[in-house]
Amino acid sequence: MASEMQNSNPTILDTADLPTRLRPSVSSKTTTYGSEFFAAVLPSLMHGTADPLSDYSPFSSDSEGDGELMEEPIDEQEIYDLISTISDPEHPISLGALAVVSLPDISIKSSLSDVPGSPLRTVTVLITPTITHCSLATVIGLGVRVRLEQSLPPRFRVDVRIKEGTHSTAGEVNKQLADKERVAAALENGTLMGVIAKMLETCQ
Amino acid sequence: MSALQTFMLVVDHDKQEARQIAERVAQDVESRKTTLVEIVQSLREYINDEDPLLRGKAVSYLTAVIKALPPKFLTRQQVQVLTTFFCERIEDAGAVAGIESLQKLDRFTKDMAKEVAKALFENFNTLQSRAQSQRFQVYQLLNELMTNHRAVLHEMGDTSLVGTVDLMTGEKDPRNLMLVFSILRAIMVEWDISNHVELLFESVYNYFPITFRPPPNDPYGITAQDLKDRLQDCISSSSQFAPHSIPALLDKLDSTSQNVKKDALHALIACINSYSPDTVARYSITIWETLKFEILNAQEEFLSELSLRALHDIAKRLSEGVTQVSDQLPLAQYLRPITKECNEQLREPQQKQAKPAQEILKAASKASAASFSLVVQVVVAPVLTLYQGAEGLTKQRALLETLTQIFESAITVFGAWTSRTPGAPTENPLLEFKDQFSEIFGQALMSTVKEEVSFRISALRGFLRLSMLRDYFHDSEIGLFVQYLNEILLKEESVGRDDLKKEAIAALAEISKHQPRPIMDITFPAFVATLPDTDDGTHPGYLRTLEILAQISIEKVIFETLVRRLLTKLALLLQKEQPGSAAYPRAILLTIFYVMSQRNLEGDAALDMYYDKIVVSMCRSAATTASGKASNSVLGDSTVLDILGRLCNLIVRSLPRSKQDEVTKNTYTLFAPADEFQPVPFSQSTSEDQQRTMILSTYLLAGLPADSTLPHSISDLLPDLAKRSITKTEPSTQLAILRHIALLVNKFLPKSELSTATGLFDSLLPLNPTTSESQTPADTIKTIFWLSKSLILRLAPTTTQILASLLSLLSSQDETIRTTAARGFAILLKDDDVLSPTNGANIRLLAKQRVFTTLTPLISANIREINTTSSNSNDTRATAVPNEHIKPAHLTALSGILSTISPTLVMPELPTLLPLLLQSLDLQAEDSHAVRAATLQTLSVIIRESGVTIIEKCGHVQSLVSRLLKTAQYKASDAGGKEGLVNGPRLRVDALKCLFLLAQTPNTEDAPAVAKAGKLSPLLPVRNQVLRSLRSVLDDPKRDVRKAAVDARGAWLRGVEDVPEDE
Repeated sequence: MASEMQNSNPTILDTADLPTRLRPSVSSKTTTYGSEFFAAVLPSLMHGTADPLSDYSPFSSDSEGDGELMEEPIDEQEIYDLISTISDPEHPISLGALAVVSLPDISIKSSLSDVPGSPLRTVTVLITPTITHCSLATVIGLGVRVRLEQSLPPRFRVDVRIKEGTHSTAGEVNKQLADKERVAAALENGTLMGVIAKMLETCQ
Repeated sequence: MSALQTFMLVVDHDKQEARQIAERVAQDVESRKTTLVEIVQSLREYINDEDPLLRGKAVSYLTAVIKALPPKFLTRQQVQVLTTFFCERIEDAGAVAGIESLQKLDRFTKDMAKEVAKALFENFNTLQSRAQSQRFQVYQLLNELMTNHRAVLHEMGDTSLVGTVDLMTGEKDPRNLMLVFSILRAIMVEWDISNHVELLFESVYNYFPITFRPPPNDPYGITAQDLKDRLQDCISSSSQFAPHSIPALLDKLDSTSQNVKKDALHALIACINSYSPDTVARYSITIWETLKFEILNAQEEFLSELSLRALHDIAKRLSEGVTQVSDQLPLAQYLRPITKECNEQLREPQQKQAKPAQEILKAASKASAASFSLVVQVVVAPVLTLYQGAEGLTKQRALLETLTQIFESAITVFGAWTSRTPGAPTENPLLEFKDQFSEIFGQALMSTVKEEVSFRISALRGFLRLSMLRDYFHDSEIGLFVQYLNEILLKEESVGRDDLKKEAIAALAEISKHQPRPIMDITFPAFVATLPDTDDGTHPGYLRTLEILAQISIEKVIFETLVRRLLTKLALLLQKEQPGSAAYPRAILLTIFYVMSQRNLEGDAALDMYYDKIVVSMCRSAATTASGKASNSVLGDSTVLDILGRLCNLIVRSLPRSKQDEVTKNTYTLFAPADEFQPVPFSQSTSEDQQRTMILSTYLLAGLPADSTLPHSISDLLPDLAKRSITKTEPSTQLAILRHIALLVNKFLPKSELSTATGLFDSLLPLNPTTSESQTPADTIKTIFWLSKSLILRLAPTTTQILASLLSLLSSQDETIRTTAARGFAILLKDDDVLSPTNGANIRLLAKQRVFTTLTPLISANIREINTTSSNSNDTRATAVPNEHIKPAHLTALSGILSTISPTLVMPELPTLLPLLLQSLDLQAEDSHAVRAATLQTLSVIIRESGVTIIEKCGHVQSLVSRLLKTAQYKASDAGGKEGLVNGPRLRVDALKCLFLLAQTPNTEDAPAVAKAGKLSPLLPVRNQVLRSLRSVLDDPKRDVRKAAVDARGAWLRGVEDVPEDE
């Protein structure tokens, strides 16, 4: 960006300290031959059984069959994973590491609380700008919004706001982010979309 | 017509002819038929002509004649006369070439050289305006003079200096510049340039930065990098340039182009490394002030890396000759502002610029012992103070990391325990902080809340560096660290992903390389003590311990102790009446196997011991167990036997030949006396237990050299073993027997006796579907395929027939035969642990290709036939086997082959293959998972390798994309049932990955620019379809599938443009 940096020395969290989903540890999975570790020296065991004819079941090797029907609903961590890897428009650093987005500030609620069976959900993301007068807050908000709208199924409504008390003109920015027309107009703007596309490039 | 006239006529269009004329004249001169004087005189007519072309041709004539004369022919006087003549005529074409050939002669003197140089410099105006090739001649002449008569030019001093600059001013041709730069560099280095520093500097700096891009098919092969290197050599050639070069280069860092900045930094580094230390000192702080911003506000990593290198190199240059550290040193003055800035940044260590500050400190401190101690003096104490006062672990953690960076510098300067070269001889300034470090890092590691994993990992890493640093910690201090690590591994509960434990294991392994003693004394006994005597399968905690022991046993001492201890444990276990679960002995054997496979056993002094204790005695025990005469049945477990077999195989391969021959004799007796054990081959009644020992026999056989004399003849063994393999038996035993057969046929059977094997093959065919209960067609088919595998891999002459016979099984009327055979194709080329190159199997390089290129067209033809008959003849139900079953069998066979060959082999057959792959994806049924998974695997490789282009060429983009989308859907199968999913989660993910790759892979990367510009992405027509379908996949119940869908959708949104960019 040509203009002066707004905050050239923000605080950074270490990526190892960011919240992640704990997968059932792979190494704890024991096979006939003990641990994964030793399996490294037994090539045939790394790639299923040595004899493709010995097992006729299509679900031969892993426990895929058991968990197949277990549902994993979309939760806050999943939303966090979608947006924490977006880059800040000023630094080549992720929004997660800058603590612009954080897990406790994400919530998923039923959109129609009086209709219990309704599949409609509303995701609320509160963003915390690195400094209170950050003029890029709107761009960051838009980036988060675009990412979520691209990545969530249609039954999700997305609500992105500035966290209370973290920005001098939070009201104004929130109004802009909530206004469908203005968001749509902003997304027609080539330069702005260029910036947002660059922010989303690092999404994993 | 005179020779001269003829020459002048032909020289323009027939060089050959012209040269021949000159050669003839030269011969005349040699044989005294004519004289040089006459020749020169003959020129007179043309030499004063108005037309420069004519004059040039005339002078060229003389040059050509001189060139054709033998080198010793001309007298010194003649050379002199000719030189003067050419110098006067230097404006005429050909003169330069004439001088060039004259100066090569021995009789060309210094004075003549001077005369030539003068002529060149005086006429620079005319020479400059010549064509490129002629200018090249001029530079080449000057270059020759530089090489052969440099002293003369040097004596001319400023004249030659200014003359050269004048001559080259305005030069633009890269080929010429290469010469010019190298001539100028010689002047810059050797001449006294003090009167013309700026002139000389500007003459080359004008070319910075080089933006040259070689034209395609450039015949001279000069790259931009060549020019950059030569130019950089010039800029960095003399310290006197510094007042001009350094400010100019630093200015270039304001450029917006990354490439310019990169070139400037490279040139700057070159200057730092070649200017005198005094000069570097004068500019050191200026350079720091500028580079600081490049590092602290790094936009591109490579720029910050180069800047760090520059800072490091300055410190290194300023350390030259420094023996005593003092504040007055230029080095100290240079480092002062650096450490000040870094200390300031480190006051807020969790902020963004702290990390670059750490890197700056590391770069500066590792340059030399002197700069290390200067940095340590001012940085370590404040960091320690900050640490004491720091609130919050994040702050403390960043400070620990800062110290760790300094420890790494210390290792660079003073060496690690393992480094061969001695480090700096001075005392390590970190010694005074030793106790403090030990305490801080120890506390951070051990007295922090267990959940603060990343903080503790930082402490662990720092502690590890200190333990590696040569002559720093005492044994007892390293021992303390080792104890901490033991505690973490043995006593602490798992937290999260267990990252701390992983780091701790790695640290122990690292320490065992540097200081094996504490590992031997402390870690080893502690871990071995936790191993139980037996285990009933309820406490598999020993696995973790064995894993750790395996990883730290890198040093020979530790390795040998480990193997000895484990063997003792195992021996005890084998004598117990109630040995508990077989998993424990298996894990012990596996550990031994693991550590042995990490080492080279050949020539190991303990090899004999391993042979006796493992191969001989354990095999015998296994034999005793099989006869039911052992105290327990541990060695009767097929998985234990498998690992023991692998272990024996490893040892047998490393044995000397005499021992190997001993093994050969005992392949089947397993070292047991005849009254204790009945070998399996040819025995009439064998129990399952006995047959199981074939696992060991097979591994032993695999380790033997191919020319061993086996105890039985192969022609006797094969039918016996084949009979056993098709008779019902345990799967693991059967696999061993099948591998045994394959080994015999592939590795041991001489070429002349191949008929034994092909005879066996023929006897197993044709199959009879209705067989007795003990012999099923499935077992026979297995045997057939393993036998085929062993023959095909050595490319036996019958390979093609074998493949055809196998293929015919796919059209069998019997369903078992069809489906088993279809799956069997995966056996043919699959890498096997036993029939492997390591075991000396006879695997020909072209085998895989041969199988693939033979089978694919046949399968394709068969399927085409099936497709046409089924669409044509609904009424003729004559075909006994329904086509809808034969087709999947063929596709399964194909997928088996595909999953076992390298994707590069697939590419040439793609047009044939692609329709088959698409049809495989159409098998939308539950039982086709494996086929579709293999297909998607192949597709993903094809797409990754060559993008969408190749698929577009075959015209299948639309059909591929629709099928992938269909496979990505979450959908219950029509049949219902509770696990009835048409597409399993893995399949859905794989399909989505293919879609991702389609949009992601740059498909027009190497296409010419013209084709690229006007062409729309071939994916564009399906873009909306993909985006719409993927939107619903975003709601898949499985997280992994959703993730893959997000990625794929993102790639299509980004990568597939609606409109080409230039519109």
